Amino acid sequence: MMKRKKDKKKFSKNNSNSLFNKSNQRQSKSCPLSGKNAPEINYKNLKLLKKYVSDTAKILPSRITNVSLGKQRKLSLEIKKARVLALMPYVGE
Amino acid sequence: MNYYEHTYITAPELNNQELETIKNKINEILKKNESKIVREEDWGVRTLAYQIKKSSKGKYNNIYIQGTNKVIKEIENFERYEEKVLKFLSIKIKKIPEENSELIKTT
Repeated sequence: MMKRKKDKKKFSKNNSNSLFNKSNQRQSKSCPLSGKNAPEINYKNLKLLKKYVSDTAKILPSRITNVSLGKQRKLSLEIKKARVLALMPYVGE
Repeated sequence: MNYYEHTYITAPELNNQELETIKNKINEILKKNESKIVREEDWGVRTLAYQIKKSSKGKYNNIYIQGTNKVIKEIENFERYEEKVLKFLSIKIKKIPEENSELIKTT
């Protein structure tokens, strides 16, 4: 019995090193749209908005772009305004 | 009194006279309701991201208005039944920006 327990512990440690360390590194990235020198989110700033839209013109999820929750909400609103005025497409190619 | 930002897209093949009649009508509505245009921006003719009323290009006009919500309702009502206006959008804002936007026409 004792031997078995020791084996299990070793296994779990190895596992954590290979799998879970990656996720820790990802979390440390900060939001690119908040902070002192962050650009202003506006529907007229097309260069910025196009960064946060996929090839098929969908809004990218914040888990990929690391945008904070409040800024993501504002981003999606501004993208939708730009879509109404035909500055950005609803559907990509 | 509130600040509003209003943009409307007209058909690209309009001549100056037809454009001015639309502008004059908007000015009339503004005068009637004691409000005024604070700033104006011309974004020029741009290609639309999707076709509107079968045209793929449009002329963008952007105005900043100081007035009441009645004015916006009346302007939108006028533009809805005007065939030469393809689309419009009005937004309530807190401040009127002093710098030009990036979309402004560069000639």
